Amino acid sequence: MSEPTDTTGGRGTGDSRGAVAGMSRRQAWVTAAMAVLILIPSLYGFAGKFVEFVHIYRGTSGGEFAVAPILNYLLASAGFFCMLLWAAWNGMFRDVEKPKVDFLENEARLDGGVRCPLFRR
Amino acid sequence: MTHGASAHHRSDGPQAGHAGAPSHDDLVDEKIIVCYYVAALTFLTISMLAGLLVALQLVHWNPFKGTELLSPGRWRMIHTNAIAYGFLANAFLGTLHWAVPRLTFHKVFSKPLSWFIFGAWQVVVLSTAFGIVLGPTFQDQPWILALAKKWHLPMNLGAQGLEWGETPFWIDPVALVGLALVAVNFMVPIGKSKGPMYVSLWYFMAAFVWTFLTYAMGNLLPEYAVAGTSAGAIGGLFIHDLVGLFVTPLGWGLMYYFVPIILKKPIWSHGLSLVGFWGLAFFYPLQGIHHFLYTPIPMFLQYGAVISTIAVELVVATVVINFFGTLVGRGKEFFDNLPIRYFYTGMVFYFITCFQCALQVTFTFQKLIHFTDWVVGHAHLVMFGVFSLWLFGIMTYLFPRLLGRPWWSRSLCEYHYWLSAGGLFVMFLDLTLAGIFQGYYWSSLQPWDASTNGSQPFWITRVFAGLAMFAGLLCFLVNLWMTARGAEATDPLPARAAGTPTA
Repeated sequence: MSEPTDTTGGRGTGDSRGAVAGMSRRQAWVTAAMAVLILIPSLYGFAGKFVEFVHIYRGTSGGEFAVAPILNYLLASAGFFCMLLWAAWNGMFRDVEKPKVDFLENEARLDGGVRCPLFRR
Repeated sequence: MTHGASAHHRSDGPQAGHAGAPSHDDLVDEKIIVCYYVAALTFLTISMLAGLLVALQLVHWNPFKGTELLSPGRWRMIHTNAIAYGFLANAFLGTLHWAVPRLTFHKVFSKPLSWFIFGAWQVVVLSTAFGIVLGPTFQDQPWILALAKKWHLPMNLGAQGLEWGETPFWIDPVALVGLALVAVNFMVPIGKSKGPMYVSLWYFMAAFVWTFLTYAMGNLLPEYAVAGTSAGAIGGLFIHDLVGLFVTPLGWGLMYYFVPIILKKPIWSHGLSLVGFWGLAFFYPLQGIHHFLYTPIPMFLQYGAVISTIAVELVVATVVINFFGTLVGRGKEFFDNLPIRYFYTGMVFYFITCFQCALQVTFTFQKLIHFTDWVVGHAHLVMFGVFSLWLFGIMTYLFPRLLGRPWWSRSLCEYHYWLSAGGLFVMFLDLTLAGIFQGYYWSSLQPWDASTNGSQPFWITRVFAGLAMFAGLLCFLVNLWMTARGAEATDPLPARAAGTPTA
C-alpha cells in the first residue's frame, strides 16, 4: 500500500486561524512580502521604460531601434494581463491553496494501490 | 514494450471507489511517451558526441581534421540544436503526454494528432541537421542560385544566422505549424478542466503560447521584416526567451507536478508558486537585450534588460524557497530518492545560474566576460545542469512504470547521476575560470595567441569533464536497454536505498 498523503504540507491544520483561507499566517506573510519585493522594482522598471518610450516616440534619436522590442514586449504583456484578469474573474485565486491538495488527491486516486518500485530490493 | 505496464495499471485504476472517473489507461498513451524518450536520448547522444568533437578541436586533437562535413563549425550548431530541439523538446513533449491528461482528467485532443506531431517533429529536427551539415555544400549549386534569383528569396539552405535558431529558413514554417498543433493538442484538455488550476497547468499553458510566439519572432522577423540593430535586438530576445519562455515554464511546471507526487506532500505554498509564475510572465520577455550590452541599441533598453534580469532573480528566489520549504521534514529523501536528488540538484544549479545571470548582466561584469568561456559554462549549467538533470530524474522515475519493471541496475543509475552532475559541475567551474582568465588576457591587450594558449589547461579539463558526462549517459543507455529486455537485476541494494517505493 502507498503511504498516506500529507495534504497539509506537514504543518497540520491548527495554524490556519486568522490567515487567508487555506494558507497559514506564515505563508500569507511570505507570499505578501515576495509580492511586494517583486512589484516595486517591476513598477519602477516599467514606468521608466514607458517614459523613455514616449520620449523616443516624440523624436529622440534611436527610436527605430526601440520600437520592435518594445512592441513585442507590450503585446506579450498585454496578453498576459488579459489572462490575469480572466483568471481573477473566474475565481482562479479565490481559494488559492486548494488546487495543490486536489491535485495530489487526484493523483492518488489515479494510481490507486499501484506499487511500482524503481529498484529491486 | 508497454504492454506489461498497461496491464499493471488496469487492475488498480482510479475507478475503484470512483465510478465513472477515467483510469490512467484511459488517459495516458504510454507508447508515445516511450517513443519520445527514445528519440530524445538518441539526439542527446548525437549532441554530446558533437560537443566532444568541438572540445577535441580546441585542444588540437580533432580526429576528423580536414573532413569538411565533420567540421566543428557545423557540428557546434548540431550540438546546440540537437539539445534544444532534439533532446529537450522531445523529452518535454513525451512527459507532457503523461502529466497533462493526469492533471486535467482529460485525454489529449487527438491521439492520431499526437503521433503526427511526433513524426513531424523528428522530421523538423533531422531536416535541421541536414540543413546545417549539407546546406552549405548545396548552397552554390547553379539551380539553387537560379531559384533564389527567380523568387527573390535568400535561399540560404544552411544555417540561419541566428544563435539557437540555426534551423534553416525553409524549415521554420513547418516547425511553427508543429508548435501550433502541440498547443491545440494540449490546450483542449486544459480548457476542459474545471475549477482553479494547479500551477503546473499555468506554466504549461504559458509555454505553449510563448514557444510559438518566440519561435515566430526570432526566426521570421529578422529574416523578413527588420534588419540591422533592430534585428540584433530581436535575436537577443529570441536567444533568451527560448530558455526562459520555452524550457523554463515546462521545466518548472513539471517540477511542481513530480516533486509533490514523489514526496507525497503538497507544495509548500501554492500562492507563492503563482507569484513566481506571474513574475516570470511579466519580467522575462524583455531580458534578452542583456546579451547586447555596449551596442548601438538604446541605453534605456539595455538598462531595462538589466533591471528586469535582476528582478527575475527575486522571482527565482520565491520558486526555490517554495521547493525547499516543501522538502522540510523530508530532507532524507534527497539522499535516498534518486529522482528527488536529480530534481533538487537541478534546482541548486538553477539558483546558481540565475544568481550568476543577475551579476553577469551588469555592465561591469560584461566588460570582463563578454565573448569568453564564462558564457559557455553558464549555458551548460542551464541546459544540462538544470533541465537535462530534471529530465533524467523524470525518466528515472517514469521508465519503470512505462516498461512495467524496475531498473536493471541501481548502480548504473547512481553512476549516471554522479557522472552527469559531477562532470557538469567540473565543466562549469572550469569554463567560468577560463572565462575570467580570457577576459583579463584580452583587457590587458596581449596577443590573441596568448589567450588561446593560456586557455589550453581549461580546455583539456573540459574534454575530460565532457567524457565523464558522456560516460554517465552510456550507463543510462545500457541500463535502459537491459531493463527493456527484462534482464535479471544485477545488484539489488538494501531497501533503504531503493528510491521511490511507489509510483
